[in-house]
Amino acid sequence: MATQEEVLAKMRASIEDYDKEAAVAAAREALEAGIDPNLAMEEGFAKPIRALGEAFDRMEIFLPQLVMAADAMKAGVTVLEEAILASGSTLEKKGVVVLGTVEGDIHDIGKTVVMAMLQAGGYEVHDLGVEVPTPRFIQAAEEINANIIGMSALLSTTMLRQRDVIELLCNKGLAGRYFTIVGGAPVTQKWADEIGADAYARDAVEAVKVLDASREKWA
Amino acid sequence: MNFKEIARRAETGPMMTTDDFLMQRVSANVMKLQKKYDVHWDGKSLVNLDDDLADRTWQAGRELLLSAGLYSANSRRVIEFSETEVEHALRFAPRRLQMGQGKDQVTIYHRSVEDPRPPFAFSGPFNADTHETMFVHLNEAFAQERIIDCLFLPGYLKELDGLMIRPNSGLSSRAAVLYGQWSREAVRRAGRPGMPICGHAVMALNEMACTNEEWGLRSTDPRAMVLLSELQVDDVTMARMGFYLPYGCPIYIAFTPLVGGYGGGPDGTAIVAVASFIASVMLGADICHLGPQHIKYRMQTNNMSLWMGSLAQQAVARNSHIIATTSHTTAGRPGSAQYAYEFAALELAVVPSGSNVSGPRPAEPLGWNNVSPLMGRLFVEVGHAAAKLTRAQAAEIVARLYEKYKDRITFEEAPKGLPFEKMYDVETLSPTPEHQALYDEVKEELARLGVPFE
Repeated sequence: MATQEEVLAKMRASIEDYDKEAAVAAAREALEAGIDPNLAMEEGFAKPIRALGEAFDRMEIFLPQLVMAADAMKAGVTVLEEAILASGSTLEKKGVVVLGTVEGDIHDIGKTVVMAMLQAGGYEVHDLGVEVPTPRFIQAAEEINANIIGMSALLSTTMLRQRDVIELLCNKGLAGRYFTIVGGAPVTQKWADEIGADAYARDAVEAVKVLDASREKWA
Repeated sequence: MNFKEIARRAETGPMMTTDDFLMQRVSANVMKLQKKYDVHWDGKSLVNLDDDLADRTWQAGRELLLSAGLYSANSRRVIEFSETEVEHALRFAPRRLQMGQGKDQVTIYHRSVEDPRPPFAFSGPFNADTHETMFVHLNEAFAQERIIDCLFLPGYLKELDGLMIRPNSGLSSRAAVLYGQWSREAVRRAGRPGMPICGHAVMALNEMACTNEEWGLRSTDPRAMVLLSELQVDDVTMARMGFYLPYGCPIYIAFTPLVGGYGGGPDGTAIVAVASFIASVMLGADICHLGPQHIKYRMQTNNMSLWMGSLAQQAVARNSHIIATTSHTTAGRPGSAQYAYEFAALELAVVPSGSNVSGPRPAEPLGWNNVSPLMGRLFVEVGHAAAKLTRAQAAEIVARLYEKYKDRITFEEAPKGLPFEKMYDVETLSPTPEHQALYDEVKEELARLGVPFE
């Protein structure tokens, strides 16, 4: 039987090779070898994907590679998660995020990058897609008991939908229940302050940093 | 192929998710074609000097469009094209086009690589957030710069009557009508009533409400539409095409291939850019605007985007007669010297590569009225000068300019600049002495670096 280090090396390689099937196989092997799933998650999947996130920030790899690595990790994590749930335990994760591009805005790429980087950073991300109706952000956050609502807007005409989500949260008496973070090309810290968002991130890397730094506010 | 057939395929083509289209049809094919045609960046060049590489990039881009198609983002269907249809559309794409009316009528044309003729110049607020009280002043100040051929995207009315404008709302229609009226008023005040206005009133379907032969945008004014990255078209653009084509407007289609995005690096993105040029022609574009974005820097004057822009424009200029232009988006803002150094670098990269010019504008997020008509004048002057240079001569100047700003290209590090009303006397519409001095100083420095002004 392979040693713990050998199995973890296979897991890391599956992420570095963007190989979904290999990630699933390595995760199964880790469970069969009796490796602690939380350790396998951190050492086998989280570390290499964080390294790829840094490589993306340096423009050494590009979006397709980041998306494929995130997909591979997601497939592997599902295997670990099923085993953990079956054992009555829970997988350690930083936080649960619902993420979407606001109503009237069909732009997808910025949100996809944020999703990949948040996943790389250890967050569980529920992608609501594009043109997400204002109430849907709140409904989804309630359904999955999220900590964080992330809203992307690429157009200066659609960014006001970020304001609408926050206003609706207040009107429903849910202000403070979820940590709200906004981003997108026309969005600024000033705008975030104006609409009462809890945080603003200029890009995907900053989104992870901001959420990590604000943990006491959303955990 | 006509628009009727495009619209039909948008409703009947193969259905797939956006993610699958982008990963399986775009990314996977780009990777394959990059290898097949050996399209690679050396990591150093700022301007492409290799004709064979330009021709291979054209072949790869053409093949990408044939294998990927164009994704209709709302119907989730792929509009596919045959080789014969592509050849036919390229054959009948216009080589030259008249815009505007009367004595203000102008002609844009296809330029070849190292074409000595000056580029056609689109300049104006370029969709910068423009306050309603400043809209006419700002556009009149651009229109009075006679060197500008076409008033370009006369400002974004983000707010009206003290409210932010929600797309497709009543306020949005009102904004589109005022956009048409105020843009026309601006060119009339500048004494150029027939000056073409390249318009894009609001980011919504009711944008079309700016159209009126007397007080608004006319059938002789080009209308700007935008493809989504990568190789996607949405219903707003399709619906506007469905109106503006039979109305007779020149069709100006912009696309923003993303360096670092689904096309990969600058080399793969150049392939996507070429495919986007051809996709625009298939849709019915008369003028094709390359406005590459960068996933990290969000501007176009970084080393990757400079090279990519020059390569894609050469590919198109050498292998088609498409009327092409390049937008110029910078990190530095109007009111700073860096703004001019950046747009000059990109112009020197793309004008000898066969492009016309559109711009300039700072990258988002934009401040209110954050554009300068005087810098619009300098932009066109640099464009005209760039047409006198070979690619190799221009590349040397681009390298010198790039050294001046390369360490300040992030939003945080780039100079912040000033709004129009701080750079101009808004009553006389003349630059402040400080802004005029900046223009004089920057122009002198550009000349010292080798830009051959008239």
